[in-house]
Amino acid sequence: MVYVLKRFVHMIFVLWAVATILFFMFRTMPGSPLAAFLDTTTSAEQQEALIRQFGLNKTLGEQYWLFLTNLIQGDLGQSFFFRKPVTEVVMGVLPNSIILMLASLIIAYIFGIVAGAYLAWRRGSWVEGVGIPLVLTTRAAPEFWLGMVLLAFFSFQLGWFPSGGANTSGSDWESGWQRVTSLDYISHLALPAITLAIYLQGLPLLLMRSNMLNVLQEEFITMARMKGLSTSTIVMRHAARNALLPVATAFALGIGGAVGGNVVVETVFSWPGIGRLLVNAVAASDYPLAQGAFLMITGVLVIMNFIADVTYHLLDPRVRDATR
Amino acid sequence: MHTKSKGLLYAAMTAGMIAGTPPVMADAGDPIRELTLISRAQAANPSQFQAAELIAQQWRQLGLDVAVRGMPRPQQSDAVWYNRDTWDLTMWQMVGRPERSDPDELIYNLFHSSTRDAGFNFVGYANEEYDRIVEQQRVTADLDERKALIDQLQDIVNEDQVYAFLVHPLQTYAFNSTVWNASTVVEQAGLGIKNFWTFSGIEPLGDQTDMILNSSDELNAINPFYISGATDSWVTELIWDRMMRIGPDGLAQPWAAESVSWTEDAQSVTMTMREGMMWHDGEPVTTEDVVFSFTAPLDYAPMYRPFVEDISNIEVIDERTVRFDLNEPNAAFETSTLAKINLAPKHVWEPLLANLGEGENAESIVEDERIGSGPFKFNRWAPQQEVVLDPNEDHWAAPEMDRFILRIVLNVEATLGMLRSGELNFLSDYTGDPALLFEAAEADGSIEVIESVDIGFQFLAFNHRRPPFNDATFRRALSAAINRDLIRNAAYNGFAVNANSAVSPALSFWHKDGITEELETGIDLAKSILENGGYVLEDGTLHYPMGQTEQFDN
Repeated sequence: MVYVLKRFVHMIFVLWAVATILFFMFRTMPGSPLAAFLDTTTSAEQQEALIRQFGLNKTLGEQYWLFLTNLIQGDLGQSFFFRKPVTEVVMGVLPNSIILMLASLIIAYIFGIVAGAYLAWRRGSWVEGVGIPLVLTTRAAPEFWLGMVLLAFFSFQLGWFPSGGANTSGSDWESGWQRVTSLDYISHLALPAITLAIYLQGLPLLLMRSNMLNVLQEEFITMARMKGLSTSTIVMRHAARNALLPVATAFALGIGGAVGGNVVVETVFSWPGIGRLLVNAVAASDYPLAQGAFLMITGVLVIMNFIADVTYHLLDPRVRDATR
Repeated sequence: MHTKSKGLLYAAMTAGMIAGTPPVMADAGDPIRELTLISRAQAANPSQFQAAELIAQQWRQLGLDVAVRGMPRPQQSDAVWYNRDTWDLTMWQMVGRPERSDPDELIYNLFHSSTRDAGFNFVGYANEEYDRIVEQQRVTADLDERKALIDQLQDIVNEDQVYAFLVHPLQTYAFNSTVWNASTVVEQAGLGIKNFWTFSGIEPLGDQTDMILNSSDELNAINPFYISGATDSWVTELIWDRMMRIGPDGLAQPWAAESVSWTEDAQSVTMTMREGMMWHDGEPVTTEDVVFSFTAPLDYAPMYRPFVEDISNIEVIDERTVRFDLNEPNAAFETSTLAKINLAPKHVWEPLLANLGEGENAESIVEDERIGSGPFKFNRWAPQQEVVLDPNEDHWAAPEMDRFILRIVLNVEATLGMLRSGELNFLSDYTGDPALLFEAAEADGSIEVIESVDIGFQFLAFNHRRPPFNDATFRRALSAAINRDLIRNAAYNGFAVNANSAVSPALSFWHKDGITEELETGIDLAKSILENGGYVLEDGTLHYPMGQTEQFDN
């Protein structure tokens, strides 16, 4: 219990530190939040009114204090640009980002694990000679290029998939749930998810392969062979299971990172997501939105870490003892 | 700095004497510092960046040391807008908008000395004669008289080369001519086919009755009291009616007001509303709503306030007639006020404005339902995805299309594929290479491409606050050294026309004919202008005229 409390205090400290850094970082960046509102008819008076409205006429210290006190009450402030609460703006696009990231992570990891195991098993064969360079090449290909190639081929050439957005234009849905589970949404999701998956598959594949190679050297594998078990049973049941643990850890970390979305893929496929939102917010010097969104991402990551640590602590006696 | 240049001079003189040639450069001032030309970053605006590079190359031939610095927009406007005496040169652009169909908005705000400190005259131009004439054209109601004044203003700007104007880009738009009846697509002067008249009048030919068009910018707000992003205005002008509208010819014409009549002294205008106008919620549009729409901005809509401040009094004459009295005659009033102020329902907005919190104004209000009286009704806005509008069947100009669906598409290249696959049937925002669009149209057969000269323009701004740019001779020489044909062809792929005025040739009535040709150019000409102005080229470096010292370190 003391451990959980200690970790909790750590977590609060980290969140405070990140919030503070974000607060000052965006304010010391070049660019003014007023720049997004400049027009030929903009007058000095209007600019002052905006400054007052955004609370930028207060001293930095006062602004910081206001930010912290509001934050404790769960209020991330109003976006300068959208004139809406930051939480509402972020929550509007976050689900799309998470769905895209999870879908591509799952595709990438399933493919990576299977292909990695297979390549390890076929070590030294021509399959490996072709497979590894192929994996490395796709892993190194820029995402936007990959996205454009997929778009050009599967969408414009073959017409199998729509080429942008998350739904057919003007389509109506009774609920958000119905929308994201519809065939329409999934067909829009396909290309961006595949693009990201191709980009992500390198890590699990190579990790799985090298783990497999280690595991295949172990005595229990030799034992299994001596028992006369079939190749597939040895690979899938015995070797792969043991090689999977570090891959699972990488997957968990990947989920944490998924909250931040992916600007490049979101842009190429006009996918609504938090990555685009962040880029816009930073470009327009929309301080509340930028710091609020980054803070929410940090919050999710920190909380995930906290949960992981606590669960490890409860599950694994070795970790528990080490902290004593 | 000064001693150093003297030393250089001395060395040069000695060198000259040793070589047996007479020393010719004894009457030069300090060498001109390295100049920094700010541009948007290459990735963000490749055409602009390339134009900047070409200009820098041409200026180097004059003996100037020019460095091009690409930066993101926030950083650029921070330097140019908020630190007005720190920059030398910057690339900039003005974009076309319906209300810029009257030249007043640009010629006044860009060059009048009153907007030097905080407004759009960020170059710091000050010319009393210009101020006087630009004020005078504002109060000149007679069109021909006003036109003569505006010609004079274009001459002054040309003479002073306040900016080095570069090009008016050609805007390219396209639509599927098997979906839309091409004869119902309207081209508006300076704005192309993406305009109110096209959207309200375009007729579908077959089963596809939804218009699906694109924008590459996120919408910011859909609010009748908030001048926000450019794309936002496409939507607001469809939902909310105005007393007048800018017609396809660029001139204001009666709209919600069926008649607009001015008194002799041009200081009072009487308008009669159309009969039977309804808000989208079924309430009638009354003169009370008109009064509200033109007075609320004074207290609640800071961005619209300048456009209603000229109104000294509003009088309701009967249930369909109102009279506006002005403080002084205003020639641009129809365009800048009557065709700009959105008519908003008092019964919806008055309670909203009464409940504003501290520091808030009408811009802070985000409505769930947007109630206007325009030809389209608001259906929904899914941020980052689309805006959907439904036709207002009860409107006197009810649209023929079933729905107006504006998609946010960030990927310019993808818009071409979408246009061909039918995911778009009206290309309203295309910033890619126009040649690719023409190729796609040719390959497809049913896509029609329309290009038109923009009201907006690309230019290079000199900072008049900093020598040597305070000298009109120097600016003329630099402008003459720019090869606009090269920029048009290389940076804009030929899809532009040369510019030398803030009034675009698209505004054919106001543009001064031949002003572009009046600007003579060429490196040799530039060199001789500099020489006549006393500037001296010495060891390949351009120097100020004699006695003038460099006042900036960099």
